[in-house]
Amino acid sequence: MKSSWEALGRRLSSDALKLSPADLDAYSYDAAPIRARPDAVVLAREPEDVAETVRFCIESGQAYTARGAGTNLSGGAVALSGGAIISLARMNRVLAVDTASREAVVESGTVNAALQKELEKESYFYAPDPASWKVSTLGGNIAENAGGPRCLKYGVTTNHILGVEAVMPDGTSAAFSSDDPGPDLMSLLVGSEGTLGLVTKARLKIAPAPVGVATFLAGFPSIESAMDCVSAVIAAGVIPRAMEAMDDVLLRLIEARSPCGYPKTPAVLLIELDGEAAQVAEESAKVEALCRAQGAVDLRSARDARERDRLWEGRRGAYASMARLAPNVLVEDGVVPRPKLSEVVRRIRQVAARRGLSIPLLFHAGDGNIHPHLTYDERDAAAARTAHEAGQEMLQACIDLGGSISGEHGIGCDKRAAMARLFGHAELECFRRVKKTLDPGLRANPDKIIPLPQEEAAAGPGRRPRPLSPYALHLAEKIRAGAAQGCRFAVIGSGSRWRNPPPADLIILETPGLNAILDLDAGNMTLSVEAGISLEVLHWELEKKGLFLRLPKAPGTLGGFLAAKAWPEARQELLGLRILLPDGQAADFGGKVVKNVAGYDIPRLVIGSWGAFGLIADVTLRIYARPQSKTAPSRPCELFKPNVWHRRLKSAFDAENRFNPWIFAP
Amino acid sequence: MAETAGKLQTDLGERSTYDAASQCSRCGYCEQSCPTYVATGREPLSPRGRNQIVRLMLEGRTPDRDSVKEALSTCLLCGACSTACYARVPTADIVLEGRRMLEPEAPLIARILGRLAIRRPRLLASLLKIGYAFKRAGISRLGRPFLRAAGLGALAEADASMDEAPREFLCDALRRRPAPESPAWLYFAACGPNYVLPRVGLATWAVLENRLGPGRFLNNACCGLLSYNYGTLVDARDAAIRTVERWEALGNKDAPVIADCSSCADFLKRYPRLFLDDPAWKTRTEAFSARVRDVIELLGVEAAPARTAAPLVYHESCRARHGQGLAAPQELLRSVCGEGYKTLPESDMCCGGAGAFSFLHPELSDEVLRRKISNVARTGAQVVLASSTSCLLQLARGLRKYYPQARAFHLTEFLAQNDGTKTRA
Repeated sequence: MKSSWEALGRRLSSDALKLSPADLDAYSYDAAPIRARPDAVVLAREPEDVAETVRFCIESGQAYTARGAGTNLSGGAVALSGGAIISLARMNRVLAVDTASREAVVESGTVNAALQKELEKESYFYAPDPASWKVSTLGGNIAENAGGPRCLKYGVTTNHILGVEAVMPDGTSAAFSSDDPGPDLMSLLVGSEGTLGLVTKARLKIAPAPVGVATFLAGFPSIESAMDCVSAVIAAGVIPRAMEAMDDVLLRLIEARSPCGYPKTPAVLLIELDGEAAQVAEESAKVEALCRAQGAVDLRSARDARERDRLWEGRRGAYASMARLAPNVLVEDGVVPRPKLSEVVRRIRQVAARRGLSIPLLFHAGDGNIHPHLTYDERDAAAARTAHEAGQEMLQACIDLGGSISGEHGIGCDKRAAMARLFGHAELECFRRVKKTLDPGLRANPDKIIPLPQEEAAAGPGRRPRPLSPYALHLAEKIRAGAAQGCRFAVIGSGSRWRNPPPADLIILETPGLNAILDLDAGNMTLSVEAGISLEVLHWELEKKGLFLRLPKAPGTLGGFLAAKAWPEARQELLGLRILLPDGQAADFGGKVVKNVAGYDIPRLVIGSWGAFGLIADVTLRIYARPQSKTAPSRPCELFKPNVWHRRLKSAFDAENRFNPWIFAP
Repeated sequence: MAETAGKLQTDLGERSTYDAASQCSRCGYCEQSCPTYVATGREPLSPRGRNQIVRLMLEGRTPDRDSVKEALSTCLLCGACSTACYARVPTADIVLEGRRMLEPEAPLIARILGRLAIRRPRLLASLLKIGYAFKRAGISRLGRPFLRAAGLGALAEADASMDEAPREFLCDALRRRPAPESPAWLYFAACGPNYVLPRVGLATWAVLENRLGPGRFLNNACCGLLSYNYGTLVDARDAAIRTVERWEALGNKDAPVIADCSSCADFLKRYPRLFLDDPAWKTRTEAFSARVRDVIELLGVEAAPARTAAPLVYHESCRARHGQGLAAPQELLRSVCGEGYKTLPESDMCCGGAGAFSFLHPELSDEVLRRKISNVARTGAQVVLASSTSCLLQLARGLRKYYPQARAFHLTEFLAQNDGTKTRA
């Protein structure tokens, strides 16, 4: 085999292929516990190196796994089935920074900090700031859909990607952008952990660095009061750029390691606001009042960079204080709807007590994203197992509370089995079909994200499905019955966006009966609503309650608005989506959490699919406590002409071409 | 296998080499601080990669000597990774342990040089003088192909990279100076200033005398760093013992022991780590090491009014920044240079000199050097200051090659020159 890899070397840039045992050992890990040795390492310099390697792997029946800086916490960059590691670390050029159009173009091996450094020269910034930002690559950030403290205000990585170039599993190169007509493949690639396509170049959104910043540190008499404060701040329409929480277990550790004089209370919140000076001043007053109203006992504020550094000192030293306790730190990464934070803390502490562990908590409270830290020495197999099992129990608590098993670290192989407890069979099958249609040889980072069949069997039934409304059940039954007779369907919403009537021989699926608000959670600032509701009516319903959407007031149904990609920016607002598949089954993706990287981003993929991938039954959206002014008008909707990728994905959702068949007519 | 230390002094206390290497959790936060990783983008040439490789060696799972050797021999030992590390994993010490495990015995040339420097400094001085005479006569240049042919390419590179060939060594000059009964400070003549850059040592002496009063020469031999890095631990301990005995014999135990090569100052400060299993010598070296100061930490702010100086930057020598935790003396530089002092981007990144690294891995060293020089060029500096001999030689070479507008000096050379200007004014 070695000689055949050497044949690959001749097709690559000079010095790109590494086969020495030390190289193979050094590329056998990322930052997660698991290790697996690849058979070859390719240090790509050009996208062509990536494409050549993928083509070689197809020809020779090998697997391949992309790797950026190898800081992945879920084993995403480990070559479980051997084959090639494709390192993108050498493709690290910032190709363009354009402040006029507020875009930067980078090669995917560019380190996040290197881009920030370029942007600082222009007083701009790129928002996603994962803890590893000084070393992790933007390609890795894209593959994992990375978050960070600042994402509370600015959104996670996917919200900042405008376009990507990728080498796809068939060895071809392709370019995708968020406003391409048709299903949103770009969004599907973001967060797909290198299992669908390898991003070689990306176009990113950049923004002017905020001028005003204010930072607050407050001690609270209980976890509950701190979490109530978080909800109160969000409900007041203030979105801080960071809202970080620490519990007393962690505070004691920090204080022991590097005394920073944080309040000795059961919980501490660190809140940071940014924006125009006047707005920051106004919001600061609100935040101070809300903290006091929730019983903050020791409220401190910082107005300049030095004071700010003082307040952040303990938070910054938090990880170090744990990393010094033991060689390994398992940073769990669960996410729950914000109002459930107190409850999840209680359950995590039960797990800790049951297992006799001390588990410090550090979390992005504003996002409902909680990071329990478990320290152990991986050379002690029993301790490693205990840490892993305790972590899994905490994730189960998140699932039970309507949350998810990863807010920002990814699934990889570490949480693959837990996916079977978060999703049901219909959703997992959907992931499998997406993977299989884009990567029929299962060569791109195999055995990641999707649970193996035996893992699914061992997990038992997944999360209890949300009940469908009577009208949704009626539609599902209609589809099932029609499909059984080999019928085809016209998924048309209210019909307002279609120029021509559907062909005559189809069963019409209209959605205006799907108009119930399923869940309006003002504490969490999320709305789940059936997709047949008129978008104008929905705006009106919410405004009566003093709540707002960041969507244009367009005619037609909400589902039609999304399916027709009338406003590509709508992807920013979408948290979850349930579709009825062409066999009548419901598949439920995403949910009531503002940060969620578990599984492929099917909700965003379905935007622009014009009903051809599934009937959008209901949608979960962000809502706001203040009117969202800058919503652009929706654009005239042109039906897309399917490209080769759309056609492949169509077969994943609707192999028999039952839904809106004319779109994909040969 | 050469003798290993087995135990290391780490930020978390004494640890076996295995425990120290296993403390690396593979988070990767060190990667961008590592000059060889940044230059090559290769994991085995990163701190995390090197820790994992040594760990595999200790677990008896060493795959292949040659490829392991490349990873370990290319480490600059700059220590930037430990500064970036939450647990302060001592990667440089772990790499040295890996090298000792790998080599049946230390390279002959390193052993000979090390022992001469420690035990027969006068003989070494004589030999070097002969060598320098050849160099001045242009004869050594002719010898380089023979050295390369004889498998001693590193020596040929060393010769090629040296332009300094002093006629008189620093110790000769300092021995002639008066030795006050109770000096305000003791001067440790490191091998660099002694054999290669006497002008640095003379400048340091003048600057210290100006600021602290009369001092005394320790009349020392090599600190042992050469042996620690390239030779044997036995020789390194021998050097430490000789140095400490010499210091004890002088009887000026309260005066600071000042060195003007940051690499040696750092090594002197960490003598006790050589004696983790020898309580008596551990105590004696602790007393000595507590007195050691790098000259850059002793110089306060200058009272002299700021004058407009040529644009100047400061390169933080690794053994000052990462070894001793001493950052650039910014306030001092601002007080002397005013607006002339510019911030050097990545000032805490290694220049690629790293002792013998620049002759052992000339290409990689040059790649690291180019990054350093391009950062200097970006500031428009005409003067680059540093505090370690290896940096000064490497920077001088890089500037000559890539940016001849600027020159490299030791911090004390710059201050001494400034003192001279003031005196004349």
